[in-house]
Amino acid sequence: MTAHPLALDPRTKLFLLLLANLLLFFHVHTHTEIMLVTLTLLPMLPAGRWRMALRLGATYAALVAVSCLVPADSPNPWLHLVALLAVGLRMMMPCLITGAYAFSTTKTSEFVCAMRRMRMPETIVIPCMVVIRFFPTIVQDYRQIRAAMALRGVAEGRFALVRHPMQSLEYVLVPLMMNAANVAQDLSVAALTKGLGRPGTHTSLTVIRMRPVDWLAMIVCATPLALDILGVL
Amino acid sequence: MTQQDNATTTTTSSENAAKTKAATVARSGRLSVPDLITIGVFTALYFVLVAVATLISTVAFVGFASIFLPAIAALISGCVYMLLATKVGKFGAITVMGAVIGLFLFVSGHFVLSFIASIVFPVIADLIARAGAYRNRAGLLASYVVFSYGLTGPILPLWFMKDAYVASLQARGKDAAYIDGVFSHINTGTFVISMAAIAVCALAGGWFGQRVLRRHFVKAGIV
Repeated sequence: MTAHPLALDPRTKLFLLLLANLLLFFHVHTHTEIMLVTLTLLPMLPAGRWRMALRLGATYAALVAVSCLVPADSPNPWLHLVALLAVGLRMMMPCLITGAYAFSTTKTSEFVCAMRRMRMPETIVIPCMVVIRFFPTIVQDYRQIRAAMALRGVAEGRFALVRHPMQSLEYVLVPLMMNAANVAQDLSVAALTKGLGRPGTHTSLTVIRMRPVDWLAMIVCATPLALDILGVL
Repeated sequence: MTQQDNATTTTTSSENAAKTKAATVARSGRLSVPDLITIGVFTALYFVLVAVATLISTVAFVGFASIFLPAIAALISGCVYMLLATKVGKFGAITVMGAVIGLFLFVSGHFVLSFIASIVFPVIADLIARAGAYRNRAGLLASYVVFSYGLTGPILPLWFMKDAYVASLQARGKDAAYIDGVFSHINTGTFVISMAAIAVCALAGGWFGQRVLRRHFVKAGIV
């Protein structure tokens, strides 16, 4: 399996996420934030997510514009509310951007492999694997449940679910949970057959490796933050 | 009942194949692999419900979307929590669920503090539920209320963003009294309301969940 020469290791992605979170902690200057957002948008391009990068970048630019345009001495509290929300969302954007990047470009096997390499206990790794594996099943089940409900004339149409929220919650959730309990049983049998319950280290077909480009990305992204905290920028 | 028996048989036979030491550990109440898979499946369901809650609160309270997110999530995900807690019935199930949710919130770009909240509260919830041996209804309800506060992590940045905005106002030459005037009625009150809403919604959601559990799952023999 050969990865794209510029694709980042899952651990680097986690490091970028941490950096984005530190941005929130340290109340960095706006220009540092803009610089880091630009840097974190870049790795999306070799991964072929240029449309996502464009959309997130445009949102961020709009938020920066709104938060700078509202005058500080405006007497209207609602205007302040808008600016407050813009500032808040803007501060969340680095986290959202790195999160979107990590989520959309990491394969399950890579993620699991990275977690094991970071010595995460199996009690966390196994449920994580199951969660990722189970999302598509939920979507499929939901479609079938809605079809079955429509067949019986229950909650037909687009807004019918909203009209009786508690009833529809019960009608949708109970079959989903019934099926979930059964799937848990099946998955357990399958997983134990494949040796998931064995003690010791497990091998993996997917290989992850920290490469020079990973270290470079980590250093380049960490520098503006460090300089800002030290007061240079 | 038969299904549960089947599950126990699979567990023991596989562990006999493994070391006998591991088998004794599993019998003394540690989470086995089937338990972990069950936790994973229900965590996925819970995560989907949190996503639905995000959608609802975004539509219903435009702008203040995330403030009532934990409350709405608490209202609708009582069934999942109750089923998981009763089905696994071992210490650690609720904690692992919280930790996995925290991890996914972090990876999907939420604030890192949400990770701390989604570990601390589930551990307390787990201890409360264990005191009732995962069967006591009042105990489970209380633990669900505590667990629901674990989702407050994603809304914590609201405090930070207020600070940041105040700082930027001060930088532009506004005095502190004016700023306090702007925010006093927006923030403190809203947070008290949103925290109280979590407790009320968790009680309602948990009660609903227990009713659903009795009506459907106990009867079907799944629990």
